[in-house]
Amino acid sequence: MTGKIIDARGKRCPLPIIELAKALTSVEIGDSLTLLSDDPATSADLNAWARMTKNLVAPQGVHRYLVTRKN
Amino acid sequence: MVPVTAQFQAESALHPAARELLLEIFDQGWADPRKLHLESRRAAILLQEAKESIANDLGLSPAEIYFLGEISLGFHLAVAGLAHNEGRLIHSSIDRQEVLALASQFPHALHVGVNNSGEISLPRLARSDVLLWQSINAETGLLRPLHAELQEFSGSIFVDHTAYPMPAPELPSWTTALWDASSWSGPHGLSIFGLKSGTQSWRNPFPHLEQSVVPSGFSLPLAMASAVALSHWKKDEIAATSNASEMAQRIRDYVSVEIPHTDFLSADLPALRSILSLSFLYVDAERLQADLAAEGFAVDSGSACISANLEASHVLKGMGLLSQGNIRLRLHHRVTIAEIEAFLPVLKRLVEKQRE
Repeated sequence: MTGKIIDARGKRCPLPIIELAKALTSVEIGDSLTLLSDDPATSADLNAWARMTKNLVAPQGVHRYLVTRKN
Repeated sequence: MVPVTAQFQAESALHPAARELLLEIFDQGWADPRKLHLESRRAAILLQEAKESIANDLGLSPAEIYFLGEISLGFHLAVAGLAHNEGRLIHSSIDRQEVLALASQFPHALHVGVNNSGEISLPRLARSDVLLWQSINAETGLLRPLHAELQEFSGSIFVDHTAYPMPAPELPSWTTALWDASSWSGPHGLSIFGLKSGTQSWRNPFPHLEQSVVPSGFSLPLAMASAVALSHWKKDEIAATSNASEMAQRIRDYVSVEIPHTDFLSADLPALRSILSLSFLYVDAERLQADLAAEGFAVDSGSACISANLEASHVLKGMGLLSQGNIRLRLHHRVTIAEIEAFLPVLKRLVEKQRE
């Protein structure tokens, strides 16, 4: 269920969130993937992204986020 | 045909009346207003007139106004001058970088967060506390009226008016305030430090200048031009404000329908309508800014993707707004609805190009 990992470390905004959104289309609704990103804008922008696209984000420690597709 | 405009940037051209006055004074030369000969006396009178005019426009007494050159000096005087007080130095996460940097130097600084509406959750205030308060947030246009409980507060308040020339607050305890002449289409390099008459809690942070309140190294012509620019700006701004709210509504309506995944401050929040910040999901702000410039539209941005900035706008972050793909528009009195109408489809095309 949390198998897929998107490794966007070393990439600057908006690339990590673009890669996440692309990858999320191949995930079933209700399933999750993990995003790795060390861009300083990612943490706050992921929350805004989740609010705007109505998906779910849960931080999982440093530079690691569990993202669940909700629609 | 796309009009060539640089209208949407925060820095607008000097007001024509201020420009004219400035050229006239530079042509004539000017004297040191502190000396006694005739020319100096004349300069001193002109300076006093400038002070009175600005005081009148900003709701202060002329005795409360000090002209300054560099605005960083103003932040230092206004903030560090209050930091000797024993209470906490309370400031919020969406204050200007200068204020955050200054406050962080003091061990009794208290950094408070804001919610999505930009409201700060004030702790219970004590008489010895110092509050650093921004009247308008320059990035989002958010208006930050002083809480009702501050009417009772007897500590010290620094009010940051540098984003927009609001009049001095009608509060018993405002202590210091700062304005920036470029915010009213006056010249750059001239700021105004306000120090409330009779204040006991401010101390000059420059010990060697204790007698003079502020260093006198400002330009007399710039001070005079700022006064002229302010009184003209006030007239223009009254007309601009109603236009701006119409324009801002038009832009929000357009992007809501035509450009999905755009984030902006809720229209319900109290905000200055002439500042509009838009963030586009999956968009690189630097590229968008460059593409817009190539089409003749100059805009500002608060995104981290702008190479000179290391961090995304702390304001957008602090309020939970999207920081990527951010542009800021200033809808001042010289912006026309025709320019907005020309701008919107270009914006849509450029955002779509990046999202392909």
